[in-house]
Amino acid sequence: MIGYIKSHVVRWVVPLAAVMTVLLLGSYDLRGADPTVQVRFDASKAGPRVVESLTEERILRDYRFAWTSLTQAMEYNTLDPLEGPFVGTAKQWLAQTVVSQRQTGLRSQYTQQNHTLEAVFYAPEGDVIELHDTAEYHLQVLDGDKEIHNEQVIVRYVVLMTPAADRWVIRQMQAVPQF
Amino acid sequence: MTLAQDPHLPTSAVAGDETTISTSGNGQAILYLVGPGVASKREISLGEDIHLPSRELQNAGRYVVSVCSDACRSGSFYVAAAEPASLTFLVHPSRVPVGLSDAISGVALPFDPFHNLVRVPMAITFQLTSGKTAMMSRSVQTQDGVAWFRTSSGKDAGVLHVVAAVDELSARRAVQQVASEPCNLRIKGQRTPKAILVETEPVRDCSGNPVPDGTIVTFTAAEADGKSTVDAPIKQGVARAQIIVTKAAVISAASGVVMGNELRLGAQP
Amino acid sequence: MRFALPILLVAVTVGLIAAALFGVGQAGGTVGIAAGSALPGLTPNAGTPEQALANLFTDLQRRNWNRAFAALSKTSGVDEPSFIQDWAGANGSLRTFSNLEGYDSRPLHATSDDAQVRVRLHWATPVGPVEDVRDFHLTHEGDGWKVVWPKVEAPTVPAQVVPVTYLRWDLISGGAEDGWGSRNVDSPHVRIISMNAVESAEGSVVMGEVVNEDTIPAFVNVNAALVDGSGNAIDDESSFDKIAHVLLPKQVSPYRIDFPNINLKNVKNVRMDVKATLVPASADPVIGVMDQKLDPDVQGKSVLHGELLNQSGQTVNIPHVIASFYDSNGKVVWVADGYVDRSLLPQTSEPFAVEIPRTLAGKVQTFHVVVNQYSLGKS
Repeated sequence: MIGYIKSHVVRWVVPLAAVMTVLLLGSYDLRGADPTVQVRFDASKAGPRVVESLTEERILRDYRFAWTSLTQAMEYNTLDPLEGPFVGTAKQWLAQTVVSQRQTGLRSQYTQQNHTLEAVFYAPEGDVIELHDTAEYHLQVLDGDKEIHNEQVIVRYVVLMTPAADRWVIRQMQAVPQF
Repeated sequence: MTLAQDPHLPTSAVAGDETTISTSGNGQAILYLVGPGVASKREISLGEDIHLPSRELQNAGRYVVSVCSDACRSGSFYVAAAEPASLTFLVHPSRVPVGLSDAISGVALPFDPFHNLVRVPMAITFQLTSGKTAMMSRSVQTQDGVAWFRTSSGKDAGVLHVVAAVDELSARRAVQQVASEPCNLRIKGQRTPKAILVETEPVRDCSGNPVPDGTIVTFTAAEADGKSTVDAPIKQGVARAQIIVTKAAVISAASGVVMGNELRLGAQP
Repeated sequence: MRFALPILLVAVTVGLIAAALFGVGQAGGTVGIAAGSALPGLTPNAGTPEQALANLFTDLQRRNWNRAFAALSKTSGVDEPSFIQDWAGANGSLRTFSNLEGYDSRPLHATSDDAQVRVRLHWATPVGPVEDVRDFHLTHEGDGWKVVWPKVEAPTVPAQVVPVTYLRWDLISGGAEDGWGSRNVDSPHVRIISMNAVESAEGSVVMGEVVNEDTIPAFVNVNAALVDGSGNAIDDESSFDKIAHVLLPKQVSPYRIDFPNINLKNVKNVRMDVKATLVPASADPVIGVMDQKLDPDVQGKSVLHGELLNQSGQTVNIPHVIASFYDSNGKVVWVADGYVDRSLLPQTSEPFAVEIPRTLAGKVQTFHVVVNQYSLGKS
């Protein structure tokens, strides 16, 4: 009897384990490169309006999410992640980049991201905030499987975020040589 | 095919302007350009100048250039915003009570024809006009692409025109200045065969501005065993209602937090 | 033997049909309209007052006006058109969209010649079930009982011109090509001025009042989310029709949000959210609420009743009354609403009544009534 149970268990456990392994590996592969996005946010110098602590938390959360979405969009050349965190010009530019990458067979990987975010202007009525992001990340550009560019870089972004119904969204994101 | 050194990239480029990249070496290679809104590749001949058309450089930001033959060599350059072509102008609030300090604010952001934020400092003039009266004119230098102002609302109800201008560019918004809370709400009554016709005197705020039409005035007639109420909107400065009262009653009026006088009526004969 | 089953089935079917045809109103005190006659000529004789009412309601439900009117007592003070209008409604009123679903009847008194029956009519309407209590007088005429239909005082409006200072608000918005910031007309500023959460027989209720503090009309909706001790949302609901959605400047509306089958003991926190949007609106019609009194009704329930007076020159098809009730501290302890099933013609009045729970009747000190209105062809 015990032998029968054992053989049954083995008969089910082995394929189950195999399926789980495949799923886990698959999910790992889908995640691709390390998606961790580290963001530090200093809102103390913003003005003329003081950034409320809840707003600060939301902006930090939504900015991190926006970069996670951007990373996925650029790596997998998909537009879906751009829906929500980006609007206006920022969304248009990123969508254009994704479409161009699809056409040319390119993709970009942003990894090891560390963002030092500083609020420099917060409108009196709270309807726009300007942020300076000193972003350090590893950028790899691939043509198919061929690496054409690889660098560890610090890029400075001027970012405009505006409040939407349930989150803060990036409306403008412009890299600049210096603040 | 050899690629002697990194591609020579422009030190400064402006959005919408074409630019040139030079390479060294000889033979064929592939040039990749990846930047905001663009990811292109093309075959080039090494040693010749490569022309980047303006349509590929409309968006301000960082562009990565890679030239690959047997190996890849990369570099990057920045494209800056062009001259301003439009102003985004955020003005709040849309409606403001008169005589309120620091109640109106505006934020102006200059953008070039390609929707790039122009960060070069420039003077933006904010002008507020009520009727033919200039209420404020202020020149503010942009900082990180933003200029803003804050000011008090005027004394008179009406449309306040708010303009932001830089060189030939301008953006115009309208703020409705409205009366504050009613002041001295007074009512009078007149018996008709069927009911009491009650109406307010012209409802004004403490500065004499008429309270906006549509504002609700609640008339209440309190009798010994019940009450009657009418929520009547102010029309042409006055709120009117008819209340059916047969017994002795006290009629009063209220609008928001402001209470008016009381009318005491005897029973209808 | 092989015919036994078909014969049995036929017999049972005939028996059921007969039971359905002749069984109208035989159920005793509570009689349902659904048990009425389906074929002309098979209506049972009105041998009892209840049977007479059942026959009448069956005909009315089928809109068989001639038969229904013929079944009324000769002493009824009503002609056929008035009788039909009294029952079926007119002028796009709520009654014109309603159907009688059923009723409960209770004899109040009866002699051999006349009887008084109290009937609770259950109407199916577009705004949900509506109940109406009416007392019917019946007399014994000839070989059966007949309903005496009271004289109907239908409001009549003399031909006249009612001058109206028309006041409305229009909204100018930018075009589709306009950029960011060019369409920034602020939403109306509205504020919840009170909120109270109570346990009711059906579950939990969140209620209070909301005010439009702005100088323009606002379309308002109040939402509430119930949160448990762990911070998880239990349920969220909106005020739906228990609020006056369009609020003019400085206007106050009660709101009530029902959470059926949710025990308030499990609720740790209530998250309130009020949404206000700009809408084109009109300041008319003005409807006065006259002679408001809180009295017990014939069934002993506490009822706020009064008269709605249409002070404008347009017909209000479906008036809707929402009332907030306050305790001695001015706290909102209940919000109730009720639809008036008659339309409100210009310059005329219609009675209304809204009920409050027996448990709260003793607490209520004052009340505030607002009138919502729905007019055909207008948003």
